Amino acid sequence: MGVVDEHFIAELRRFSGHHDVLTDPLELLTYECDGLPHLHQKPAVVVLPSSADQVQAIVRLCHQHEVPFVARGHGSGLSGGALPIPGGVVIGLSRLNRVLDVDIPNRRVTVEPGVTNLEITRQVAPHGFYYAPDPSSQQVCSIGGNVAENSGGAHCLKYGFTVHHVLGIEAVLPNGDLVRLDSAIADAPGPDLLGVLIGSEGTLAVVTKVIVRILRRPESVQTLLAAYDSISAAGLAVSEIIAAGIIPAAVEIMDSLSIEAVEAAVHPNFPPADSILIVELDGPVAEVREQFAEVEAICRRAGATTVEVAQDEAHRARIWKGRKGAFASMGRVTPNYYVQDGVVPRTKLPEVLERIRQLEARCGLRIGNVFHAGDGNLHPLICYDEKIPGQSALAAEVGGEILSYCVEAGGSITGEHGVGADKAEYMPRMFSADDIDVMQLVRRAFDPKGICNPGKIFPTPRLCGEVPGPYRAHPMEKAGLGERF
Amino acid sequence: MTDSHTRRGGPSGPPEIQGTASDAIDGVVPRVVAQPESAEDVAAILASASQERAAVVIRGGGTKLAWGRTPSPIDIVLSTKRLDKLVAHEYADLTATAQAGARIDDVNRELARHGQWLPIESPFEGATIGGAVATNDSGPLRHRYGTPRDLLIGIRLALTDGRLIKSGGNVVKNVAGYDLGKLMSGSFGSLAAIVSATFKLTPLPAASSTLIATFDNAAGLVAALSAITGSQLEASTCEVHASALLSPGKAGHYRLLLKFESTPGALNAHVQKARALVDGAQCDVVAAATESDTWRDHGRALWTPPGMVVKAAWLPASLGSVLAFVGEMREHGTDMELSGRAALGSGLFRINGDASTQRAAVERMRSRSDLFRHVVVLRASTELKQTIDVWGSLGDAATLGAAVKHALDPQGILNAGRGPV
Repeated sequence: MGVVDEHFIAELRRFSGHHDVLTDPLELLTYECDGLPHLHQKPAVVVLPSSADQVQAIVRLCHQHEVPFVARGHGSGLSGGALPIPGGVVIGLSRLNRVLDVDIPNRRVTVEPGVTNLEITRQVAPHGFYYAPDPSSQQVCSIGGNVAENSGGAHCLKYGFTVHHVLGIEAVLPNGDLVRLDSAIADAPGPDLLGVLIGSEGTLAVVTKVIVRILRRPESVQTLLAAYDSISAAGLAVSEIIAAGIIPAAVEIMDSLSIEAVEAAVHPNFPPADSILIVELDGPVAEVREQFAEVEAICRRAGATTVEVAQDEAHRARIWKGRKGAFASMGRVTPNYYVQDGVVPRTKLPEVLERIRQLEARCGLRIGNVFHAGDGNLHPLICYDEKIPGQSALAAEVGGEILSYCVEAGGSITGEHGVGADKAEYMPRMFSADDIDVMQLVRRAFDPKGICNPGKIFPTPRLCGEVPGPYRAHPMEKAGLGERF
Repeated sequence: MTDSHTRRGGPSGPPEIQGTASDAIDGVVPRVVAQPESAEDVAAILASASQERAAVVIRGGGTKLAWGRTPSPIDIVLSTKRLDKLVAHEYADLTATAQAGARIDDVNRELARHGQWLPIESPFEGATIGGAVATNDSGPLRHRYGTPRDLLIGIRLALTDGRLIKSGGNVVKNVAGYDLGKLMSGSFGSLAAIVSATFKLTPLPAASSTLIATFDNAAGLVAALSAITGSQLEASTCEVHASALLSPGKAGHYRLLLKFESTPGALNAHVQKARALVDGAQCDVVAAATESDTWRDHGRALWTPPGMVVKAAWLPASLGSVLAFVGEMREHGTDMELSGRAALGSGLFRINGDASTQRAAVERMRSRSDLFRHVVVLRASTELKQTIDVWGSLGDAATLGAAVKHALDPQGILNAGRGPV
């Protein structure tokens, strides 16, 4: 791997503005971590390009000098996917934030990667349209980051993930080539390369333009909130809804600790409960009316102590504010918290939640739970105090234990936050060495020099799938962060 | 290559038989047809073929096998015929796993026992799960449910080096590792062999009916489409059909087929709303067996009469220009028919005539890059396929696709020269 020296920085300044190349230690501080602050690393340099051409020039320079780089959106990622590479370059894409085209007749919007998720909906809302993927961070997260992580959100049960909504992209490959790729949604023949690029966590390319499809607003949206004395009763309601052949737009469950946190922070005024179930249906009026009555009856049959039906948009917004504010609200009940993101087949939820409860009792850390119940995506919130020696490490360990439960139940170590740097070491719990090696072969096809966000997704200590041949020190080894065994 | 054996790799190896004329692809008869019974067999066949640099074509139901370039000699046809099981149906989780050779209709018959289905359609009887994923072929219901790639949540593959690997899993939401299932979508068996695949499922609709709106001019259809897609109706199909065969001698040559799937109580309201929106058309509403027959016939309409079949995409708002193009071609004596996803901008064109007429039509479509994208020839005579690149330009995807192909199939044995990569 090459080194970022004065010559390299001078080159960067040649095609970026002087003020767009940051080397001051104080300025670099912002870029040391993303939304997962316990992983941090100082980069050698941060570049803030304003155009795809500049991104291309930066990547070309990195390629020429074999300098590793990571693209960064708005830094709201929760798996350390934008964690800088030691001695490497951070390409901050926040200045590529233009909405390039709003094409209502063709149901598509073209944006630069630094545009926020919610901005797309803002642009098309006056025409009665919206952009479906809705991660909880949608007010701040960038569409480039959504492409990297294949972001979902509460409504992906019915509407799918980012990969179901991206028609095409423009991107800079790790060798500096600027390419345009259409997805299978746009009928591009051949292997769906864009399909594999979306969700590759910034390891295959740097996206400079994204074309997304937009959807017509549903005619009607109905939301209810049901309170339960136990999480299993709430879970039973979810099973019954699915068994009735109803696919809600969203099905969310929050437990008592997360309810306590959001009440303190955003005051959604939830009824007193051990668990809260939120169910939302959307679609044509006549259909929603009929199915919603059925859902309400199911919720009551499952033992709801209260069922609150959102009477208007403000009421609905208040319910969602409570749900979407859950992570950010945890600060009200704990000095520090660690969000995990595991998935289990929905029917295994009761079993896995029970194991988490036992783990909570054993480890002494409080564990809140907020989850997308419809698709079995758990977000345990592990509370700890970094000032108490050993608690940070314990929280990480507890997170890993929960992921093991998910994998043992036939699930996944991540449903939407990505593997990043945080969970690379857990990949072998889910995938064999051969599985990982073949993924690495694909990575090398895109990035033969291994300079595009190295150290993410794939476990580094065993250095699976490195280019066969003579020994070459891995950047993590060189940086003293990994060793070979 | 070894000579024809009853079993590859000795008595315990996978069964194989000598290729016959019925196995021919574009007239090329494979030396042998292997019929592995397990994933391990598939991997073993690929590993030995790779060592011998034997050209392998993977065959599911064989319904789309002629799509692609004409083959050079084929050593092995790897048939997934015996890998035909529905491995798991986790109905409470709305997921199912099937082996590559399982027939879509057989799988759906099983899934229906629990009121669910895998919304993958094929106009061809005997189409398999593996073939649907490899071609990413879809039908009118793509409007609502997407293509197989959108439903796939996990995949098991046999690689040319003999390894069996997986990507994804059994849960509908999962972003761990690369999604190699996407890479298989549209790969036409050029990268690896699909052994089994896991999908998210959908509840069978409680009720459905279809509104067929017939127009005597293209403008009427385009206006109706705009009214439908601009409304908040949620149709399951939004299908355009333009054919001189539709009603010979009559004015009505353009049809819009809108299928609605909903609750029994709500269904009629949707149909009536749609009917009001397609003002000026002659409308028929079909349900039950008549509806199934309508869709079966619609699916086959392009494939039953003779002619080349071409797939192409366009921007949805350009449908008027696409219909005008079809009209112009007809005026110039080319028999052209269109059937496609009106709201998505994707369709199949059947072009009848001699080889030079057909070739000219494809070249014409490709020259209209302002209108058409991704013009791919699916069905064509061997003669025609030898004079035209069926895939057309892959653009920037060509170099990347070749790099991925080289990484996964370094000997280049899979679907050699025939596939898109």
